[in-house]
Amino acid sequence: MSQTVPILLAGALLWGVPLSAHHSFSMFDMTKRVTLVGTVTSFEWTNPHSYIEIDVPSESGAVKHWSIELGSPSILQQSGWKFSSLKKGDKATLVINPLKNGQAGGFLSQATLPDGRVLGNGPGRQ
Amino acid sequence: MKVLTVACLGAAFLRFEPAAAAQSRPDFTGVWGQYRGGRGADPKTLPPPAGPLILKPEYAKPYEARRAAEAEAQKRGEQLANGSAQCVPYGMPTMMSVAIYPVEILQTPRQVTIISEAFSEVRRVYLDRPQSKPEDVPPGYYGRSVGRWEGGTLVVNTIGIKPTVAGYRGMPHSEQMQITERIRLVTPDILHDQITIEDPVVLEQPVTYTLGYKRMSPDYEMVEFVCDNNREYVDEKGVVRLRLKDH
Repeated sequence: MSQTVPILLAGALLWGVPLSAHHSFSMFDMTKRVTLVGTVTSFEWTNPHSYIEIDVPSESGAVKHWSIELGSPSILQQSGWKFSSLKKGDKATLVINPLKNGQAGGFLSQATLPDGRVLGNGPGRQ
Repeated sequence: MKVLTVACLGAAFLRFEPAAAAQSRPDFTGVWGQYRGGRGADPKTLPPPAGPLILKPEYAKPYEARRAAEAEAQKRGEQLANGSAQCVPYGMPTMMSVAIYPVEILQTPRQVTIISEAFSEVRRVYLDRPQSKPEDVPPGYYGRSVGRWEGGTLVVNTIGIKPTVAGYRGMPHSEQMQITERIRLVTPDILHDQITIEDPVVLEQPVTYTLGYKRMSPDYEMVEFVCDNNREYVDEKGVVRLRLKDH
């Protein structure tokens, strides 16, 4: 499943068309996956990207804040997302591709919502 | 002289057709998803491969250097700044094929309107009207497009694309760039847009490529796209970075 994005990317380069409406995925490490379990502080249904802001407690109890990028609303709604899928205070589990520079940010791969539904990050990006 | 040639082409573009032909026109109205084939696709629906992009030597060198720099940056996990990372719309012709964003076509007797979901870009194709003289079209992202029907094919001529608008595959272009599109249904639900770019200043020869579209459900409603939360920024080295929040 983690092969999906590189394949899409290769296809897009082949055709000489932009894969994202906005930027490449080069700042994210698409070969790595990190799982974040935490509390959503905001869900921004916006362009050119949507974002999940989330507080993630560590085992020691210290809380680290992460900014997670998603596709645009247009892309997300094609895989079942709605503007109201998450709200402040929701508990969520996010599988992400982290930023290569080590900062607390990443690109969503998969989200488990409070009601148990699992959503990807747009068609072909599960 | 070149301006004169373009103007003559524009005048030749105006042609009227009998009423019977008008009645047999296909209707492109609807929302169309990007279609690039895929496993099990009917070969006749596949857009044919693109022709070669050959730039004149003085343009080829900086173009190749930029492509190499982009590839190097990609390897380092970076992206060099470009207009889209700063939320500037793509313009023509790139707006016709942005990722998996659909385009909506509204066909009316005197105008065909094409709206891309990405960045809500809009272009208007004026039907059966002469093309303007190049010197009368203010350079912009969409230029001025005129179209006419050749049987079931809508033939569109576009001039007036600003040279700072990134061209096909990032190619440079001059104010003399001219885009000719031949848009037709290859099956009732597959549309092809064959695009030919001519630029006597930059290109050794015209380049032609074809985009494919698949008709989406009539219930699909286009999504708005206003770029009001752009967290990418360009650092002092010209590299795109992501702005993070701390709460």
